[in-house]
Amino acid sequence: MTRQILTGNEAVARGALRAGVKVVTGYPGTPSTGCVAHLLTLDLPDRYIEWSANEKVAFEIAAGAAWAGHRALCTMKMSGVNVAYDALISIAYSGTNGGLVIYVADDPGVSAGMPEQDTRGFARMSQLPMLEPSSPAEAYVLAQQAFELSERTGAPVFLRATTAIALGHATVTAEDPIPPREIEPILEKDIRRYTKAGSAICIEQHLASLDRLRAAEDVIFQMGLNALQLSEESGGLGVLAVGATTAVLAEALETADDAENPTVSTLRAVATNPFPVRQSTDLLEHCSLIVVFEELEPYAEQALRVLAQQTGFKGKIIGKLDGTLSPSGELGINDFQLAVAKARGIPDRTADAQTAMTENRVASAPRPITVCAGCPHRGTYLAIEAAVKQAGYAKDEVMVTGDIGCTILGMNPPFDLLWTEVSMGSSVSLAQGYVHSGLKTPVIATIGDSTFFHGGIPGLVNAIQHRTPLTLVVMDNGWTSMTGMQVNAGTDESFQGSGRRVDLEAVIRGLGPDRLDVIDPYDLQSMTTVLSEALRQDGVKVVLAQRECVIQARRRGVLAGRTTVDADQCVLCKRCLEVTGCPALGIHPEGTSIVIDLSLCNGCGLCAQFCPTGALQHAALEGAGT
Amino acid sequence: MTTCDILLLGVGGQGVVTLGDLIARAALSAEVPVAFVPTKGMAQRGGFVKVEIRLGHDATGPRIGAHGADLILAMERSEALKGIPFAKPGARFVLFDHVWEPTGVTLGEDAYPSQEDVLTALRAACNEVVRLDPKDRPVFHDQLVAANIFALGALSGAEALRALIDPQIVQEAVRKRWPRVAEGNLVAFHAGYVQANDREGLSDGGAA
Repeated sequence: MTRQILTGNEAVARGALRAGVKVVTGYPGTPSTGCVAHLLTLDLPDRYIEWSANEKVAFEIAAGAAWAGHRALCTMKMSGVNVAYDALISIAYSGTNGGLVIYVADDPGVSAGMPEQDTRGFARMSQLPMLEPSSPAEAYVLAQQAFELSERTGAPVFLRATTAIALGHATVTAEDPIPPREIEPILEKDIRRYTKAGSAICIEQHLASLDRLRAAEDVIFQMGLNALQLSEESGGLGVLAVGATTAVLAEALETADDAENPTVSTLRAVATNPFPVRQSTDLLEHCSLIVVFEELEPYAEQALRVLAQQTGFKGKIIGKLDGTLSPSGELGINDFQLAVAKARGIPDRTADAQTAMTENRVASAPRPITVCAGCPHRGTYLAIEAAVKQAGYAKDEVMVTGDIGCTILGMNPPFDLLWTEVSMGSSVSLAQGYVHSGLKTPVIATIGDSTFFHGGIPGLVNAIQHRTPLTLVVMDNGWTSMTGMQVNAGTDESFQGSGRRVDLEAVIRGLGPDRLDVIDPYDLQSMTTVLSEALRQDGVKVVLAQRECVIQARRRGVLAGRTTVDADQCVLCKRCLEVTGCPALGIHPEGTSIVIDLSLCNGCGLCAQFCPTGALQHAALEGAGT
Repeated sequence: MTTCDILLLGVGGQGVVTLGDLIARAALSAEVPVAFVPTKGMAQRGGFVKVEIRLGHDATGPRIGAHGADLILAMERSEALKGIPFAKPGARFVLFDHVWEPTGVTLGEDAYPSQEDVLTALRAACNEVVRLDPKDRPVFHDQLVAANIFALGALSGAEALRALIDPQIVQEAVRKRWPRVAEGNLVAFHAGYVQANDREGLSDGGAA
């Protein structure tokens, strides 16, 4: 037993190990990545852990292991649930044998991009129980209880964290892992349970799924997961706090004057689906004013208002449906104070402070994110821009669809190149819609390697089958980079552990595009030539821009070359900086010339290709290829 | 229980999140309840980074509210302004006055606040502002010592933090984290500690 600082993600991983998990799968996505990433750093010979091709694949693998009787965990960010859901709803209807837990991290306040969606909606749709920790320590405990709940009810169970919990660090007392059960895998042939062919089967499964959710309510009550605390006197203020916000409630009660909050009753709900009807009924009967404190959508509030109507509650409910709190963003102590002030009909003392939070920011310099110094994608963006021009088009008349991951950073200055970002793989299919719209200009789609493996392949298959003319640029840097360098199918074999590398070029070639070119994106000239040819040509053209992610290359001490500045030649036109926006370029403190920060520069030489005076000199290093 | 809420601000690549980790390790040694949340952009460098540290709370949410921070450290001049709404009136604000210009500023497209404007705004918001000049870092083995450890030394001497964690324990957390480069780090820590706090050196740091 050790006390240590763990993130919520790590705590979920440790909780799962303590619960004897056998199989763990996932797809990287901020803020959930740290769970599988942590497990992969540990020596766990008796477990199976992998980054899967996508969330649907990951979930199906976990479900297979759980159907065979083992405990299995599958992890993803909220957007991943959209991908996994097709499988998830079917598996929810079938139920599970071994404990099956889906760990998902939502991102209220959007620290990392993508829709600010609330996975609690998926729990309701799929009739699956959901547990929501409010701290890393609670995540450790609830991860274990999620497996217990799953096995006691036969339902897969959602474990949902939010960014501040998943990425938050706190003291956790973790006990030693427990090895997976030593069982013979279950091979149960039961088409009524494991297939969906036939109306009777499907309806039976739907009803069984509802039965499991009803059973979950009792099990959750027995496990004591939700805590109701009623004040001595009735008729006062009640708070229903959900998941992450229960910690904010605890902080508010700890710091509040006793004179101010003598009669607050609380229901701290960490098991949020099914809705805790019994305890909520008690809260409604006891209180005259109820604040519902939950992040994102007002699901608990809706349920409470329905219950209030059913039970004839005469008091007031404060939450989001009355406009007090926002369905966007995180909720903090100031939001709690605001809601309580509204409930009590007193002026909100925090209003000024809230306003202050948004002031001053104007004075800070804007800091848009861009690609790293030496990022191979920079070469790709610049080549696309140059090729569009070379092929005789204006930048603003050529649609370039973007996709998920680092590759989307081409939307920002100085590139301003990409027009769209939708979901994993969408760049390829969205582009086809633009083609069929009758555009007279060529359409370009861009996508990264991991994103292509995840969801881009069907779009390319479709384009090739239907002879839809487009140019697809696959930006292959060999890693799932934006989430912090995870291995994907195309990562070099030496990082694949017991797995092997899938040859991305061979995959594309096998699909049979009309043209496939493999180019080093540092070679701006060749890349521009190839792209501009492709833009003038009919058919499906794929350009595979291959060069390892600069962060990973530099970690191994691999430099592409050396770029230097001849200060006497530099006229400080800033063209290098304007075109590349490279973070390694700056201006000498005395304002005399461009300087290169050697701690950042990878010697890609792109800047030198735009220097009109020859002040920037580049020498490639031998053997510094992809 | 005594509590101390600390806000760290800076730019990705400055080692701000590492400081959160070091303070948390020190808190663990000192048996002080601790929670911290880093907020940062993606894998790339150069984006805004914020770390919220909650020390000494039995129960607490992850985030610091408006006017909730006892102690603020900004590792970059422009980003320091983002700390103002969080400062308690009695807060201590440590500014490590490094300038990390975004490209838009270098190109003359965006404005960057002056040192005077930033200091004036910070002084209006809180009780005590300590400015550290990046150039005042000592040199160890021909290199300026690590900026973040220098700033950590400065932070560790602040009353609000000392009341919960002895600076020696913070220093020990630094030493344990990187045993092989402990000597240079202790020089950095000690220098920051002395410069910001007008105090005698720590026994160990002084020896280094």
